[in-house]
Amino acid sequence: MELQLDHITKVFRDRRAVDDISLHVTSGVWGLLGANGAGKTTLMRMIAGIMKPTSGKILYDGVSVGTLGERYRQVFGYLPQDFGFCRDFSVGDYLEYMAALKGLTRRQGLKRIRELLEQVSLGDVREKKIARLSGGMKRRVGIAQALLNDPEVLVLDEPTGGLDPGERVRFRNLLSEFARDRIVLISTHIVPDVEYIATSHAIVKEGKLLAVGDTEELVRLAEGKVWSGRIPACEVPEYESCLRIVNLRNENDGTVSVRYLAEQPFDGMSVPEVPRLEDLYLWMFPQNEREEE
Amino acid sequence: MRIMNLECKRILKAKSTWILLALSLLLSVLLAWLPMAYCYSSYTDEEGNEITLIGRASVFYEKQRQAQAAGAVTPERVRAAVEAYQECLGRYGVTESYDLPQGVYEREILPFAPLLHGVKEAFADPDTGMAPGIMEISPEWIDNYYTVCEDRLDALMKMEQPDDPSVQNRAAGMYERVKKPFMVYPGFTTNVMDYQNILGFLVLLFCVVTAAPVFSADYQSGADDILRCAKHGRARLGAVRAAAVLGISAFTCLICFTVYIFTVDSLFGWDCTRTDLQMMYSIVTLTDMSVGQLQWFFAFAGLLSVLAAVSLTLFLSSVLRNTMASLAAAAAFCMMPVIVSMAVPGTASTWICSLLPASGVSIQASILYAITDFQFLNLAGMPVWTPYAMVGANILEIPLFLFLAVRSYSRHTVR
Repeated sequence: MELQLDHITKVFRDRRAVDDISLHVTSGVWGLLGANGAGKTTLMRMIAGIMKPTSGKILYDGVSVGTLGERYRQVFGYLPQDFGFCRDFSVGDYLEYMAALKGLTRRQGLKRIRELLEQVSLGDVREKKIARLSGGMKRRVGIAQALLNDPEVLVLDEPTGGLDPGERVRFRNLLSEFARDRIVLISTHIVPDVEYIATSHAIVKEGKLLAVGDTEELVRLAEGKVWSGRIPACEVPEYESCLRIVNLRNENDGTVSVRYLAEQPFDGMSVPEVPRLEDLYLWMFPQNEREEE
Repeated sequence: MRIMNLECKRILKAKSTWILLALSLLLSVLLAWLPMAYCYSSYTDEEGNEITLIGRASVFYEKQRQAQAAGAVTPERVRAAVEAYQECLGRYGVTESYDLPQGVYEREILPFAPLLHGVKEAFADPDTGMAPGIMEISPEWIDNYYTVCEDRLDALMKMEQPDDPSVQNRAAGMYERVKKPFMVYPGFTTNVMDYQNILGFLVLLFCVVTAAPVFSADYQSGADDILRCAKHGRARLGAVRAAAVLGISAFTCLICFTVYIFTVDSLFGWDCTRTDLQMMYSIVTLTDMSVGQLQWFFAFAGLLSVLAAVSLTLFLSSVLRNTMASLAAAAAFCMMPVIVSMAVPGTASTWICSLLPASGVSIQASILYAITDFQFLNLAGMPVWTPYAMVGANILEIPLFLFLAVRSYSRHTVR
C-alpha cells in the first residue's frame, strides 16, 4: 500500500501554492507539517481528488487516482480543514447518509456508526442537529465520517482544531489504533498532535517540500540548535527580539528560564538541550515568517 | 435506492421544504376559492328591489337562469338567440344591451347569453377585424354559422401571418378538426384558468427555491468536499439529488394542480367543465378541447414547465458556487418570459418565450395564452403551433439540463 506524489504542482492565478512536490507515502501515520499558507490544504485537496494539480500525478499502488476513481474513493477517507455539513442533519442521519454514499449496506453502516459514535464519545448526541453541537463535537463528527468506510488512506486536514486537550489525547489514541496497515496523513501546524503518533513527517514551506523522514531523523536536523539558559526577567523583551525563544518559565530568584533556538548560545551559561520535533518546526518556521504567512 | 431515500429524507427534513409545501397547498385552495369569491350578479325581484348576489350564490343563480342555454351550440339555437336579442333591444329602442332599462338584461337576455358568445367575433370585418354589433347581424347569415367561423379564422390568419400560407393552412386544418357544434354549459369563468396560471407560477417559484441550493449550498459550506470523496459521491449522488428534487417538484405540482382543479370544479360544478374552449375564449380557438380538458392539459404542461425550470435550476446550482448566485440566476430565468414578452418585439419574442423552460406557467406568456392565441413558429419551413413548441421544448430540456447538471456536478473541482 503506497501513495505516490509525483512532481505535484498547483499554480493559482497569482501564486504557486504547491511547487513540484514528490513524496512516497507508505503505511503508517504521516504528519504533514507547515505554517498556515504553506500549501498543506492544497496538497491534501489534490490527494483527495477534489482539486486538480496543474502538473504532476498522484498514484495509489501505482495507478493514477483519477483512473481508479470510485475504487480509490472506496478506500479513501477525508476530513477537510473546514467541516461543512447540511444544517438540517442530525448526527445519526448525517453518518447514515455518508455511510450509504461510501457504499456500506444499511446493516454495516448502522453497526459502524454505533462503534464510531462510542469511539468519539458522541453516542448521546446521535439525534441532535450537527449545527447545534459545539466546535469540538462537530470536529468529532467529521472524524467519525472519515473513518466510516474503514479507509486504507485517511487524510485529515487540521483534525484537532477545536478539540480540548482530553479530546486530543483520545483522538491520538484512536488514530494510533486505526493506523495499522493504513496510510494516515495528518496535516497540522500543531506539532504535538503528530509528534508522538506519526511515524514519518513531511515538512512543507511555501509550497515546497523541505524535509521528509521519521521523527528521529528530522529531529537530528535541529541538533546543536536548541539551548536553555537564564536571563533577568526585566530583559525578556530585549532577548525576545533577538532570540527564537521556544519556552519561558519564571523562576523565584527574579530570572527567567528560557529554551531557545540558535546556531550558538547567547552566553557561556547556556546548555544544549535534546531537540524535539517542535524545535525543528520553529527553527524552520520562525515566528516572524509565520506571522507574515 | 437507499441513497435516494436518504436524499429525499434529507430534503424533506429541511424546515424550508415543509414551509414551501404547506404554502403551495394552502395557495392551491385559496386560489381556487378566489375566482368564485369575485363572482357577482344582481337582479330586481318581483317587488322591485335590487338584489345583489356574490360568490357561490351568484354562480348558482346564473347557472339556474342559463340552464336552458346549456347543450350544443347549433346554428339554429344561435340564430334563435340572436333573434331574441334583436327583438328585445328593438322593443326598447336601443342598439346595445347596456342601454336597456334596469333588470331587463337579467330577465330577458341573460338566460340565452352564453349562446351569443363569439357571434360578434364570427362576423368581424375580414379586413379590419372590427366586430359588428349583434343588431347589425342578419339572422339568416347564422344559418351557416360554422362556415362563417372558418372564414373568420382564414381572415384572422391572413392578418396575423400575411406572408406565410403554410401557417394559414395549418391553422385552417386544425380548426377543421375541432368538433362542431360547440358545447356550452354555463357557470364557468376564464378567471379560473388565470388563477390556475398564477398557481403554476407560484409553484414554479417554490420548486426553484427548493432546487437552487441543492448543489451550490454544499459548495458554499464545504460539505461538498467530503461528499465527493465518497464512493458514490459524484455522478451517482448528482443523479440521485437531481432525481429527488425533480420527484419532490413533480409531487408538489401534481398535488397543487389536482387540489386546485378538484376544488374549483367542485365550487363551480363539474358540468361546466364540458364547455368547449371556443365558447369561453375566441370562437376560432384552434384546439379541440373542453375547459375541463384544458385544465388538465395546462396542469400537464405546467408540470413539464416546472420540471424543465427545476432542471435548469439544478444545472445553475451545479455550476455556481454559492446559494445566492444560483437562486438569483434561477429567479431571473423564471421571470425572463414575462420580461421578454413585454420587451422583445415580433417573432423573436415568440421564439424565446416558446423555448424558455419557465414559459409554460409564466405570467402573460404561459401556455394558456399560447393555446388561446394564433402564434406559430416556423421550424425549417414547418409551422409549429406555439403550445406544441413549448411542450416539445420542455420535454427536450428536462433530460438535457439534468444531464448537464449531473455532468457539471461530477466534474466540479475546488478552485
